[in-house]
Amino acid sequence: MIAQLSEQEIIKRAQNGDERAFTEIVKRYERLVYSFAFKVCRDSDKASETWQDTFVNVYRKLHQFDGRSKFTTWLYSVVVNSCRMKRRQRKLDQASISIDSPELSHDHAGGDNEGHTVQTIPSWKDTPLDDVMDKELRMLLDSAIQKLPYDYRVVFVLRDVEGLSAEETGKILKLSVPAVKSRLRRARVFLRERLNPYMAI
Amino acid sequence: MKKHTMRCPEILDHICEELDTKISSAKCREIKRHLSQCPNCTAYLDSLKKTIRLYKTYPDKKVPQKTREQLFAVLKLKA
Repeated sequence: MIAQLSEQEIIKRAQNGDERAFTEIVKRYERLVYSFAFKVCRDSDKASETWQDTFVNVYRKLHQFDGRSKFTTWLYSVVVNSCRMKRRQRKLDQASISIDSPELSHDHAGGDNEGHTVQTIPSWKDTPLDDVMDKELRMLLDSAIQKLPYDYRVVFVLRDVEGLSAEETGKILKLSVPAVKSRLRRARVFLRERLNPYMAI
Repeated sequence: MKKHTMRCPEILDHICEELDTKISSAKCREIKRHLSQCPNCTAYLDSLKKTIRLYKTYPDKKVPQKTREQLFAVLKLKA
């Protein structure tokens, strides 16, 4: 019966201390949280810790959710904060490398004064996705994503993988929309360039 | 000679938005015009889209039962 209640009603009940309603929240959103945590952490143990921390924080802070944003937006921000706290504890940030400069390191951005490119870049057009989705490529993508600094990775996952808008992503990460766009662009270029040796046959 | 009002580096700066939106703003139209004439930028955009699709199609992971049990134990709740 509780499973049939609306999201709004479940949240209201959980906010009033109904433990079954809270359990229902976990049930409804556990996959979303785990999948997001896993995509950001790229590690089962870290994803599990982040998942647990997230729901402990949801349990403690649910009263702070005022319904002005979507519940999932609020939930993503709890995941991001849980992840951030965990990372602080682990001091993982040192491992990140900077992708801020040089801008894009375009492999085809060199051009003459007329704006004509003088180099060509390998096209992936003839590489059907099904043919390249093998273990080797996934491992390469995993490794590229792990090298992508956290601040960029989280933007990439929220925008491109979870499909959130730039506005929603900015709200979750407390960033302006132009900052979200800039990080997303750099993240995409970073990943694309690291997959290039494999994709460009 | 065909005149490019926006050059490749600028196009790349805006590709982010081109990927995101279906709008037909002046900027978007210009990007599309540029892409139709520039195989390099087209290849670039194509490969970016493939990177994104590749990551999107990662198999969904399930929450380990142990992880769930630990949460309910910590919160002293019935699973």
